[in-house]
Amino acid sequence: MDAFYAAIEQRDRPELRGKPVIVGGDGPRQVVSTASYEARRFGVHSAMPGVRARRLCPHGIFVVPRMEVYAAVSAQVHEVFARFTDQVEPLSLDEAFLDVTGSRALFGDGETIARAIKQQVKAATQLDVSVGVAASKYVAKVASDLKKPDALVVVPPGEERAFLAPLPVSRLWGVGPATEPLLHRHGLRTIGDVQARSEAELVAVLGQNLGEHVFVLANGLDARSVDAEREAKSIGHEMTFVEDLHDRDHVRSIVLQLSEMVGRRLRSHGQRATVVRLKIRHPDFTTLSRQRKVEPTADDLVIHRVACELLASCWNGRPGVRLLGVTGASLVGAGAPVQGGLFAQAPKKRDQLLAAMDRIRDRHGESAVRHGGERRETTQWGPEA
Amino acid sequence: MKILCDRNALQEAVTVVSSVVPVKTTKPILQNLLLRADSEGITLFATDLEMAARVQLDSVKVSKKGTALLPARETAALLRELSEPTVTLDSSEQRCRIESGGGSFVLLGEDPEQYPEEAQSKAGRKVEIAAGAMLRMIQETVFAAAREETRYAINGVLLDCAAGCLRLVATDGRRLAISYENLDTKVEFKTVVPLRALHTLSRALAEGSKEMLRIEVGDKQITFAVGSTQLVSQLLETRFPDYEGVLPKSADTTVEVAKSLLEGALRRAAILSSNDMRMVRFEVADDQLRMTAESSARGRADVAIQAVVKGAGGSINFNPDYILEALRVCKLDQIRLDMSDDSMPAKFTLGESFTYVVMPISGS
Repeated sequence: MDAFYAAIEQRDRPELRGKPVIVGGDGPRQVVSTASYEARRFGVHSAMPGVRARRLCPHGIFVVPRMEVYAAVSAQVHEVFARFTDQVEPLSLDEAFLDVTGSRALFGDGETIARAIKQQVKAATQLDVSVGVAASKYVAKVASDLKKPDALVVVPPGEERAFLAPLPVSRLWGVGPATEPLLHRHGLRTIGDVQARSEAELVAVLGQNLGEHVFVLANGLDARSVDAEREAKSIGHEMTFVEDLHDRDHVRSIVLQLSEMVGRRLRSHGQRATVVRLKIRHPDFTTLSRQRKVEPTADDLVIHRVACELLASCWNGRPGVRLLGVTGASLVGAGAPVQGGLFAQAPKKRDQLLAAMDRIRDRHGESAVRHGGERRETTQWGPEA
Repeated sequence: MKILCDRNALQEAVTVVSSVVPVKTTKPILQNLLLRADSEGITLFATDLEMAARVQLDSVKVSKKGTALLPARETAALLRELSEPTVTLDSSEQRCRIESGGGSFVLLGEDPEQYPEEAQSKAGRKVEIAAGAMLRMIQETVFAAAREETRYAINGVLLDCAAGCLRLVATDGRRLAISYENLDTKVEFKTVVPLRALHTLSRALAEGSKEMLRIEVGDKQITFAVGSTQLVSQLLETRFPDYEGVLPKSADTTVEVAKSLLEGALRRAAILSSNDMRMVRFEVADDQLRMTAESSARGRADVAIQAVVKGAGGSINFNPDYILEALRVCKLDQIRLDMSDDSMPAKFTLGESFTYVVMPISGS
């Protein structure tokens, strides 16, 4: 989708149309989620600190994100995708890979399907979408980005190398701010320059893994298939604070809130985490990450207990806390075998309680029901009955 | 201070007290051991502030009373290497000269006044038990205690003395070991002793020994004394879980099986349990116990052994390591397993006074 969040705001508020709209805040700790194309002309882009965006674009209109609305629109868009294929691999709220190989007999070739999708998304949401059509995921993604907004770029099979050749190396996945200067030093500025080198030469410059990876992408050889059942490897939430936190109880209560969010998402995906990870960032931007293996769990209070133990192991109240993150990782399916506990509350009872809390939240919103703050601790044998 | 003593006896005493000297510490003075010579002989003492060991030696010729603080590691190593039957220690002003045979060594000590020597413990509740029995109970329980540091609350073993019976109980929340010994006493106490203290104590106890171990439980600390050796440990201030509540009262199926058969078969099956989740399935039916394991990446195992089965039969999954660790300290030839389903703990009878409870793996 093109400037997805900003485009939705402009759609819903006509007075914003044609103006530089910046979704996100301009406070000291806030960042830009999405900038409209009008704002991008001033150099504003996503993930930029709000303060900087304000300086670049003083007359920009800052809009508070409305995530529920964006999620609802995203669902409408996915509903359009589903009319053409069930092989959909979502990348984010507003991006997805579609494998339409098996749909051509019904709907025509890739370009025809792309046009139909653009038209039907527009009809359903009044929003523009850019589509890239190619034989591999990587080339399709580059093609979709190339002529935004409202673009349709088709790269016929066999023309991938020629299509990629003029593009800068920064278009290669895995080539970021660290790798780009390295490639430049070796005289590699465009993907065409990379295509002129052998795999062995690239491995010598970039190391085994990245070298092979860049060789495959640059030559349009990316053979990964669209994975409709791609599962998240981890589920995490982070919070950055307007003012640094110093109070231990306050920090622990935020950790509880993050743990509840992680637990809820684990349960809604039917998964359990076997690793709990805590991330903490101090005012000087030093960032620590601590993790521990746990018995598979999707229980808010178990995640909270472990996260608090990790917190205690790396933070003693000083220095302040700028950002906190809680993640459940190394996920396993909810049906995977679980080592039972001798003293924990009966797991079934506990699961029923959490399921009931989830139903209340589904109906009445995320803050309708919460675990009591600090006073309800868990014991080392599991949540207290 | 000047003493003449048997090298062997001194070396043994130094080894025992050195076992509490911390390897790493923020207080360097704790890497020493204290040696006091008076009219009764000598006393060796060391502590890490949580635990202390004291050994008395009376077969010593004290020619000058006094106190010395010696570097523990070097003292122990030196005594081990000396070959003469006797050794002389002569210390003044924090220098201790050790002479034995033709050799002469000087150990630089520290000021004994600075060393935190504890007073002898005050009176508490006392029981006596044969050293060999205590060693057996320690061996039958410590392996089941939690080793993760954060589970400090069960990083110890419960000593529960009531109704003329001393029970040792250890658990990590997933399995639980209980071992007991009947005592002729009316004393009652219930206290949690750090694992480390029991490991150290077990080194001072001899297998099958009838020598009496004296246990004295105070409010904050526990003292174990056997022969001329005394070990004092802080108690863990913690609430031990209700272990009696998790002992299964009944079972759907009872299996009796030869320990050596079970141990061998289980070890073979466990090789092919997956790395992510160590799991072996026990299936009980028709006078046999069948163990199967499967690793999606490596293969499958299927082993069956003879068993005497009573009851409904059925199947249940266990972490094989939990069972193998217990079998390693089991001295019975024939063991008994009482099991129901995966929501109930299973009970292994591994000795006349040794019971082991394991929570199964559920799901799948």
